[in-house]
Amino acid sequence: MSTEATTLRVIIAAFTDFLTVAIHTILYERAIYPPTSFLSARKYNLSVRQNRHPKVCEWINDAVSAVETELLKGVVGRVAIVIYTKDNHPVERFMLDVSRFPTVALADLDTPLERTAANGDRLPILPRIDMEEQFRATLSRLASCSSTLKPLPEGCVFNIAVELKQDGQPPLNHPQPWMPVQSAKGDAVGGQLQKKAVPVRSIAAGELLLECWIEEADGAS
Amino acid sequence: MAQDYTEWLAINVLNDQQLISYRSLSRALKVHSNLAKQMLYDFHRKQNAKKPGAVHATYLITGTKLKNVAQTNGFHSQQDEENTVMQSSPPLPSSSAPQPDDDTKTEAVAVRTVMVAKEEHLSQAKAAFQSITGVHVYSLEVKGLSDIQSLTECNRKILVDYASEDPLEVWKQYGTIQNPNVMRRTQRRQPPPAATAAPAKTKPSASTVKPAALEKRVSKDSQDSKPSSKPTSAKATSEPSKKPSNVKRQGSDIFKSFAKSKTKLPRTDSQSSAAPSPKPVVEDEPMTGFSDEEGADSVDDEVVDAAADTVEGKSKAEREADLQAMMDQEDEPMEDVEEFKAEATDADAGAIDKPFSQPKEELKETVQVQDGRRRGRRRVMKKKTVKDEDGYLGKPQPKPTPYTVNKLGANEHIVTREEAAWESFSEDEPAPKKIKVAAVSSMQAQGQKKDKEKDGGGKGGQKGGIMSFFAKK
Repeated sequence: MSTEATTLRVIIAAFTDFLTVAIHTILYERAIYPPTSFLSARKYNLSVRQNRHPKVCEWINDAVSAVETELLKGVVGRVAIVIYTKDNHPVERFMLDVSRFPTVALADLDTPLERTAANGDRLPILPRIDMEEQFRATLSRLASCSSTLKPLPEGCVFNIAVELKQDGQPPLNHPQPWMPVQSAKGDAVGGQLQKKAVPVRSIAAGELLLECWIEEADGAS
Repeated sequence: MAQDYTEWLAINVLNDQQLISYRSLSRALKVHSNLAKQMLYDFHRKQNAKKPGAVHATYLITGTKLKNVAQTNGFHSQQDEENTVMQSSPPLPSSSAPQPDDDTKTEAVAVRTVMVAKEEHLSQAKAAFQSITGVHVYSLEVKGLSDIQSLTECNRKILVDYASEDPLEVWKQYGTIQNPNVMRRTQRRQPPPAATAAPAKTKPSASTVKPAALEKRVSKDSQDSKPSSKPTSAKATSEPSKKPSNVKRQGSDIFKSFAKSKTKLPRTDSQSSAAPSPKPVVEDEPMTGFSDEEGADSVDDEVVDAAADTVEGKSKAEREADLQAMMDQEDEPMEDVEEFKAEATDADAGAIDKPFSQPKEELKETVQVQDGRRRGRRRVMKKKTVKDEDGYLGKPQPKPTPYTVNKLGANEHIVTREEAAWESFSEDEPAPKKIKVAAVSSMQAQGQKKDKEKDGGGKGGQKGGIMSFFAKK
């Protein structure tokens, strides 16, 4: 695995793996599904929770591959996992900022990337051990987040949203995996609620630069 | 000293919001584990006295619980009744199996239990115990613990951070549980990977129990990986290569399942370098390939003994590496003793026969058919008994057998190994069945008149196994 050249596709694949595990972890922590429907698994040498229901896994895999498609186009600013109440008011958002991923032309998706330090040394594009350690730390923080957040009301649902960069074209081709949402002023999904943000972690592993935080809507019903 | 731990805990638990177990504390402050437990308790009490609910604790409770064993599973009897009513067919009137609704036949079994409980569940957990032998603080964290499995992370960190410490030197300081029967090997072979990485298979008499592993067993982390990622990636490559050989499996199911499980034993050894692991793992691949073909031919004895083999908890590759080293030594008298093998030794034979096939690959098995008889050379497994120093591959003889000639020293054992040997055979075509041959040989032993040639040909033609004892062609 370490012998293959690191391309942008590889970086994005690593990120989508992480995104999948993060979604499962969030579903467990926020009790969107009953805890008995989760089994223990191992990822990045850490014990994580994974949902067992085939439909849930299928939905998550489809959503993550749709996110990956957009990432490969290089238009994604942030990925959000949004928790809604029963009457569709967003309560929490788990944000992952991916705007600092390297941007390459479409033709260069499979071109190996290179990175040199100021003194001319070659630096690794994606140091695996480092990346795994940081993913582990982020997932540990996510796993303990539920003790710091306010308890959710009953019957919450979740969804995945992507916020595009300024010049990004929304994906409106057919078949359409994404639903376009009108962005309110300065805020894409979630409206004008007062929010407080809880930082989780920022990951910097070679070219994989990521930030993760949780936004909580105050005065959630 | 007293100030140190308060400060250290305040930094790590309150400020950094980390999960600190008593083990992490003992390693960090270089104190005994029991002292660390007391420190945790003290800190917890003081902080919560200042501000209630500041620090959350998990507790480890040891004691005995009563489990009602109603049916084959050990769950509570209510669950059993539900399950049996739905799943099982009504028991036959003549069957002696316990009836589901017959409570007088359920027995309460005292089970020694070690349980980790969050502080909010502590009283509830304590009530579930019949008798409690010990309670202590397991870990501290700020603001509650949602997933108890995150405690496994503490042990992984210890493994990584303190890998340089030799458990045999620091055990006194940390108070790790020791097994007095454990010896560290001083041979030139690399130290074997710790067998305790497979907690389900560990028995008290299992050899090479590393002290650190017992603590790991208490924690829920059952699959620690080595600090370097190389062995895990080497193992990953060996596993996919095993899959094609799995398809060809014709061997008995028992043998198959044990061959698989042994190579999956995770290797935890903070002492051994990463170098031995790629080598035995690489040798693992050709070995399992051969075991598939030969498994069908091996006698049932070997299969049963392979079952006893996994109890030892040593990996196949490790055994093979040791065997290679033994082959290099070559200073043992080889005794061809016809002996009924002790169970354990044959287990090794079952696992070791494969590597010998490798150096002799230039010789091929040939079969020719000549006017109704199959002739040629082929490989069979022959058993050889050797005296082995230090008993790595053998076990002490349970009792003196009539075949033991020399008195063995404390560390010497008789080992029966199976080696691949070439045998020329000529047999009738089509090959007679084994059952028929056994019947033929027994009938011959009883001295009845039979076609001698046919018998001899039949016996000589069988591949390996017990028949090699009787065939003297």
